[in-house]
Amino acid sequence: MRNQKSRILKVLVVIACLTALILTSKTITSPFRIKMIDLLSSSLKGADSFLNSFRRIMPFAALREENRLLRARIDLLNRKIEELKIVSSDNDRLKELLNFRKTIPFTTIPAQVIGRDPSNWSNSIIIDKGLSGGIKQNKAVLSTKGLVGRVLEVGRYSSKILLITDPNSKVGVMIQRNRQGGILVGRPDSRCRMIYIALDSDVMPGDRVITAGFGTIFPKDIIVGEVVRVDKEPGRLYKSALIKTAEDLSKLEEVMCIR
Amino acid sequence: MYKITRFQIYLVLLIALFLQGSVVNYVKIMGSGPDLLLMIVIFFGLFLGPAAGLESGFVAGFLRDIFALDFLWINAVILALSGFIVGVINTQFFKESKRADFIFVLVFTALSMSLHYLIVSALVNSIALDFWDFFISSAIPTAVYTGLVSVPVYVKLLDIYHLKEAEDYL
Repeated sequence: MRNQKSRILKVLVVIACLTALILTSKTITSPFRIKMIDLLSSSLKGADSFLNSFRRIMPFAALREENRLLRARIDLLNRKIEELKIVSSDNDRLKELLNFRKTIPFTTIPAQVIGRDPSNWSNSIIIDKGLSGGIKQNKAVLSTKGLVGRVLEVGRYSSKILLITDPNSKVGVMIQRNRQGGILVGRPDSRCRMIYIALDSDVMPGDRVITAGFGTIFPKDIIVGEVVRVDKEPGRLYKSALIKTAEDLSKLEEVMCIR
Repeated sequence: MYKITRFQIYLVLLIALFLQGSVVNYVKIMGSGPDLLLMIVIFFGLFLGPAAGLESGFVAGFLRDIFALDFLWINAVILALSGFIVGVINTQFFKESKRADFIFVLVFTALSMSLHYLIVSALVNSIALDFWDFFISSAIPTAVYTGLVSVPVYVKLLDIYHLKEAEDYL
């Protein structure tokens, strides 16, 4: 009994020290953690392969695979159509303004998702590429349907991606139709909200949301999602909107990291 | 009395971590899924006492800290405290009742998530989510979901650990 009390006391002291450590921390990134993930990356890959092979040996595996490939192809073509729409609307707008600007092309590195966040607060994924695969910190991550997030911690063989649905994520975005800007913030329930939309904006459900290209992390005109609901909170000077992400981020398997 | 070893406790925590990072993503409803790790920690606190609750909470939280993108140690502290408090007040409740277990898990899930929110919002000034919005849209659905999942899981764990009679509990 006495032994147990002293053990509890020791652990409580450790917890008090850790609480002090948390309260003095300034960032959610940690070199210690990404080193641990690097060490565990081969086991994560093993666990991921196990899960994938389990899915494959289920009945109708061949049809499932074909369906997946065709769906991926449709997604890719849809994305191309959306990109062409953006290019076309940009072209019209820029011609009108007689101020043509070239959008910066970017190359991507494909990576496989090998781990997911086991927390109900944060939303992140672990990918199988790190510094050795050319991944750099604070670069945007995409899927075939649209924006996924950004690289936050980079190890040698693995990296952690902060998804756009994480409460710590903030992305400069705009409504594609009327070019009204705002900031996209994540929520713990895996949804996003666009805040700081001007009160006189005619934003409506169904409007497509794209990246605004402010800053150096996210390139311009990447599809983010679409408006589900517009809210006007009493006493606020701005509107906000609930956004459905273009990609179902809870079921991601492969991503593309901008080089 | 059946003796539960550390290895058995850690094994269950590892299985819960694996399921939390894989299967739970596919069974989320409106973006909320059950918190399996917290549910297991509450089980150990409830049936094995404060020391087991504290230790299992600390280990489960540390594992979560490694894989999540959050302030390091925050989950270790919150889960250890949850396990410890559940262990300290476990004698006040009628643990054999499934309804009492459900309410216990529900309340502690909501409390630990709220504590997480309060710590993070104290550290990050720019968090664009107010407490009630978070509580209604995230904490409550997760707490209810975790509570519902805990009912069959606790029955199975009690069976696995041979905790069938009141004298087997701490």
